[in-house]
Amino acid sequence: MNASQIVEAILFASEAPLKTDEIVRADESLDEDIVERAIAELRAFYDQTERSFELLEVAEGYQILTRPAFASYLERFDTVPRPSRLSGPALEALAIIAYRQPIGRIEVEYIRGVSSAGVIRSLQDRGLVEVVGRAEGLGRPLLYGTTQRFLEHFGFASLEELPRPEELPVVLRERVPLGLDDDEDEEEAPGQLELQGGDDGGGTEEEEPAAATSADG
Amino acid sequence: MRPATTSGRAGGPASVQGRAPGASPFLTGEADFLLVDLDRFQGPLDLLLHLIRTQDIDVFDIPISKITRQFLDAIESIDPQGLDHAGEFLEMAATLVRIKAQMLLPRHGDDEDEDPRAELVRRLLEYEQIREISQRLATAELERSRRSSKGFVPTRPRPSLEDQPLETTWEEVFEVALGVEMPDPRDPSHRVTVRPVAMSDKVALILRRLKEVAEIEFSHLLDGVGGIEAKMHGVMTLLASLELSRRRQVLIRQVAPFSELWLYLREGEDDEEMETPDEPETT
Repeated sequence: MNASQIVEAILFASEAPLKTDEIVRADESLDEDIVERAIAELRAFYDQTERSFELLEVAEGYQILTRPAFASYLERFDTVPRPSRLSGPALEALAIIAYRQPIGRIEVEYIRGVSSAGVIRSLQDRGLVEVVGRAEGLGRPLLYGTTQRFLEHFGFASLEELPRPEELPVVLRERVPLGLDDDEDEEEAPGQLELQGGDDGGGTEEEEPAAATSADG
Repeated sequence: MRPATTSGRAGGPASVQGRAPGASPFLTGEADFLLVDLDRFQGPLDLLLHLIRTQDIDVFDIPISKITRQFLDAIESIDPQGLDHAGEFLEMAATLVRIKAQMLLPRHGDDEDEDPRAELVRRLLEYEQIREISQRLATAELERSRRSSKGFVPTRPRPSLEDQPLETTWEEVFEVALGVEMPDPRDPSHRVTVRPVAMSDKVALILRRLKEVAEIEFSHLLDGVGGIEAKMHGVMTLLASLELSRRRQVLIRQVAPFSELWLYLREGEDDEEMETPDEPETT
């Protein structure tokens, strides 16, 4: 019984992604290095032998998933609930929460320009976002963040895997909005998204556009 | 919803940058003439971005007067019943009008005196970025949905009873039917049995026992009963307890479902107190 076999058995039997430290628990002979090496081995083996599945890094763990090419065969099993897609508004709200977490509903609505309570609720029902705390401001509004399920749903290994703002074609960040100053190239562009979520407490952003823009710089 | 038809108008006095638009299905000829289907848009920011992007307008130098007019024209057709976000479009319209008014005021050269459009621009760019990210997420979602994890194909369900072939034949049914003793329709008499246990006896029993001990477990009230009539004793004792509780002579408590019932004697001299029992009665 070598390490790859043990790791394979565990990943094969698991329905959800497993983290390295969870796999280690299976046997005293395992440690994280051994597991990582076994995973690399299995990956290479599945590729070489052209298995219909592969070993992928998902949601900060590892999971065996079928290759996309076999989707059409699996879809024939029509007793299986088809994976449903998120609506446009839901994706928008989710994108905002993913990049700005922890974030309150009011801020999500301000960025989208439309009310978002229903959309956030449905994201919560789907387990894609959750309440992660409360803001300090008036009324101590709830703050939302993404869940493990979110990473699984989109097949992201971690939050780092989200498209980075600087990779996006929509940038126009060479210039600042008008009026702040004339030498525009020195300031950072507005509307920049932060991966780790803003540390600005929020709350008064709406009333003070100047403060909000300077918080980015 | 019908598409909003915006009528062409002569450019207002503040209309700048009235150059020909780029190729866009929503623009016909003149820059002032727009056909906008509001249902296509997620909200006012989406619509505004559309107006700006399809006309190749520099976001950092939005001709606010022109855009405001186009925006107002586009939302003119909003059916208040049909569009959930009518209020949000109107709010944006108000913001645009306010910005337009602020643009007309003379500005000082101070640093604090920001361009009235700055916040709007910031929001537009942020929203545009979010929209781009949403599209990336949708792509990732689609890709992920083409992979399946364990459990995708469920274990075969047990066949339902309806699907199983019935092997009983009519002959079998008939045979059983023959064995059934049919009541004689000519004999209309009903047998009425006397209740072997009377509730009044149980009421008396409960009161007598409570005189002795002041509180008692329900099961102890059934001490000594057994045999075929045990169930009837239990029922009648419960009914008697309820009756006494209703008469406010006895208090019944139960700590948890299916746990033991406790009966307490209530001192009935003070009616006021009886009206507001300090402990909830449960049965």
